[in-house]
Amino acid sequence: MRVFTKKDLLKYNGKNGRPAYIAYEGLVYNVTESFLWKDGNHQALHKAGQDLTEALKSAPHGKEFLKKFPVVGILKE
Amino acid sequence: MAKVTREMVERAGVDVDQLLELLVKNAAAELTTYYYYTILRANLIGMEGETLKEIAEVARIEDRNHFEALIPRIYELGGKLPDDMKVFHDMSACPPARLPENVTAENILKVLVEAERCAVRGYTQICNMTFGKDHRTYDLALAILNEEIEHESWFSEFLGEGPSGHFMRRGETSPFVSKFLK
Repeated sequence: MRVFTKKDLLKYNGKNGRPAYIAYEGLVYNVTESFLWKDGNHQALHKAGQDLTEALKSAPHGKEFLKKFPVVGILKE
Repeated sequence: MAKVTREMVERAGVDVDQLLELLVKNAAAELTTYYYYTILRANLIGMEGETLKEIAEVARIEDRNHFEALIPRIYELGGKLPDDMKVFHDMSACPPARLPENVTAENILKVLVEAERCAVRGYTQICNMTFGKDHRTYDLALAILNEEIEHESWFSEFLGEGPSGHFMRRGETSPFVSKFLK
């Protein structure tokens, strides 16, 4: 499985045709196909290319939403 | 724009541009839902479908009311709506509530309940952002949230999720949001 650094992850911000990846608890998910991640933005608050482990704690949904997205790698600390 | 209104909200620690984007996205979700529910309601036919038609209609009308109630707040805070309907549709805070491929009352119900659940999450988020900081937006988001929670309950109970804690709504539509529409 591909290993991403936080710097690598930043490139996958969903802008200009690039895929949108986000990290959660060490796994990197591809959310490009999600209607709610258009242009790499989610609900005006979150951007793709980031580790959202902390942010998800205050989201109005849990990690169950990530299950439908493919895992494309792991995030190196 | 209500200049001091925006200033007070900013001073309380709210990122007003971020809040405005959320309000516009939710307004888009309400108006598109109104449109998509029109189609869903039209397809609620037969013995099962006709049973659901009335609450689908109430939810449809109340979602349009939510759209109408959100607009003044967006402009008060210095925001605006896109002048392009397609742009507005595509920025919705929730995915389109499209008619399912296999048109059955149960499948339509699943679309309806998912749309309402998305709305419940969205307004909870706005309430959390504005609580104790932007009293008017909080009051409005809470009023809408109350109605979205009822919509979710109506549809989920028809799907057999637990006993019902309510009776069919009587009287005017939008009992919580109507104060913002006068």
